[in-house]
Amino acid sequence: MLNSTQVPVTVLTGFLGAGKTTLLNRILTERHGKKYAVIVNEFGEEGIDNDLVVDADEEVFEMNNGCICCTVRGDLIRILSGLMKRADQLDAIIVETTGLADPAPVAQTFFVDQDVADRTKLDAIVTVADAVHLEGQLGEHHEAEEQVAFADVVLLNKTDLIEGHSLGLIENRIRKINPYAKIIKTAHCAAPLDEIVGLNAFSLERVLEVEPDFLESDHDHDHDDDITSVSYVSDTPLDLEKFQAWFGKVLQTKGQDILRSKGILDFDGQDDRYVFQGVHMLMDGSPMGPWPEGKKRNSRVVFIGRGVENMGLKEGFESCRAL
Amino acid sequence: MSGTINKTELERRAINYDFAAPVTSTASIAETIVVGFGDGSVRFFQAGHEPRLIQAHEGVVLCMAVNQSYIFTGGDDGKFLRISLSGDVEEIANFGSRWVDCVAATSEAYACSSDRATHVWSRKGSKASVLEHNSTVGGLAFDSKGKRLAVAHYGGVTVWEPNDRRWKSKKLIWKGFHSSVTFSPDDKYIITIMQENALHGWRIRDKADLAMAGYPAKIKSFDWVGETPYLATSGADAAICWPFDRKDGPLGRAPVCVADGEKQLSTYVCSLSQENAVFAGFKNGEVLLAEIDESKDSIVLKNATNREITAISLTKSLSHILIGDEGGHVLWAALWAGALNDQFI
Repeated sequence: MLNSTQVPVTVLTGFLGAGKTTLLNRILTERHGKKYAVIVNEFGEEGIDNDLVVDADEEVFEMNNGCICCTVRGDLIRILSGLMKRADQLDAIIVETTGLADPAPVAQTFFVDQDVADRTKLDAIVTVADAVHLEGQLGEHHEAEEQVAFADVVLLNKTDLIEGHSLGLIENRIRKINPYAKIIKTAHCAAPLDEIVGLNAFSLERVLEVEPDFLESDHDHDHDDDITSVSYVSDTPLDLEKFQAWFGKVLQTKGQDILRSKGILDFDGQDDRYVFQGVHMLMDGSPMGPWPEGKKRNSRVVFIGRGVENMGLKEGFESCRAL
Repeated sequence: MSGTINKTELERRAINYDFAAPVTSTASIAETIVVGFGDGSVRFFQAGHEPRLIQAHEGVVLCMAVNQSYIFTGGDDGKFLRISLSGDVEEIANFGSRWVDCVAATSEAYACSSDRATHVWSRKGSKASVLEHNSTVGGLAFDSKGKRLAVAHYGGVTVWEPNDRRWKSKKLIWKGFHSSVTFSPDDKYIITIMQENALHGWRIRDKADLAMAGYPAKIKSFDWVGETPYLATSGADAAICWPFDRKDGPLGRAPVCVADGEKQLSTYVCSLSQENAVFAGFKNGEVLLAEIDESKDSIVLKNATNREITAISLTKSLSHILIGDEGGHVLWAALWAGALNDQFI
């Protein structure tokens, strides 16, 4: 392939009024010296500093490939393919989603379409959240929960309008849904752009770097369909075949409710660490080099989703231990 | 690596050009081959002349179609253009920030799509008919008489036919997203390229489905070849050619696989109907010529360059061939050995 470099794509989600437009305006008007393409819905703004604005309607397509929850964003496949034919190289592409959008089809597009996967890479899902209203939105709209659950970065905005104690509570709420997300607290979306664009959050290497910020989970939420996360650790090495059989079945049968999964695994008889991450039923994984000297070998998995604490994942994971 | 490979006959007699932007599209009118690029430019190639540059679009030339006299292009600048062989550019429509994704043309009519709408102009009237669909249009094709217009989209194809002053439509349904679309030369079948590494077809008479799956990659290109005819397709490690003769066409029959790319994926195919043969361009830049006959070997026309082939086109007299790739490289050569070398006027 000619361009060995894949253009990073940042997906910007967030509920209506959270501050997505403020952030987009900043990206389009700040003199960052980079060339970005921004894919928006009815934005109506012109970028300065050479940025390119592309108008698109979100079109979610169900794939005819036997994968029951496999939906992709058809408009993204079309537009990303078109952008890759340009003469000039883009530094990054930013995709805005509407407030009520489910982030899964966007993420799945990068797993499913080979041309998109060859030329671009999903960099990170950034969710802009309104510190004042997030709690209420999480209770009322499952889309808000999903956007937090999928996020690599939660840009907690409007923190100037909320007291310290309430801010702590809302941070805890976010961490309970998604212990992996990095939370950036801002007023007026004034976070440095390099903390939002170019994060490489979807690379497998990144799974190794981020230590999840787990809270003691007390499962005191009100509804069974709330999105939460569970994580398990095993100090006993795992059996490769047992794990593959179990994990494959989990994704097949529970994939619709598991929004994201990540893990670093220590397989019996293998020198390398095995790293994976998934979105619903789709999974990407590979050996990622030897274990660092002096670091304890163990296996860690995280599942974020709906009802994950009642899926028997703990027992299943433990049954994969090598005898 | 390439230094140790012997040049092919075609490479020895070729003129090579390096342009700044990827080759996105190609078509030919009589003895002119037209090429669209990722920087909005269009170039005419004619034997004995330097390529002629036409500044057409501001962004990418996304799609191209021709009739006997004009070139029609759509771009990511939202413009639908008509370009004459003398190089005059006329803007037919401008959709602003919305891209023009597909175009089609016959001597009687021309059409383009932007988002969910297809706009059709007939030669007589200057006002466009707007045909709306439920999802973004993936492909457009007129039948051989230039009458019916097939529009591919999510969930299948809508076939439009003008009826008095109105348009009547017929739906061909198949789950999934359909992009490029084509009528068989006898107008009996409609075939689409799908997002799911498959072709889908319908016999128009009874809407019978033809599912042609099993490709390892997305099919980016197809072309009708020869008398049979075969539909040659890319998307595998060869050119996959489906027979459309007999009563049921390819139904229940295996395709003919020619131009073996040895594990390389084919990305572009172009028919050499007179010889019942197909040119196949590959992801690594190689181009092979093969008769549609599995017992015969293919000929290497162009060696690998590691740049994906995105265009192959022939002049109508078959005197010249043009090969373009994703790196903006264009090879222009007399097709047959012994033909006169190009001499610039």
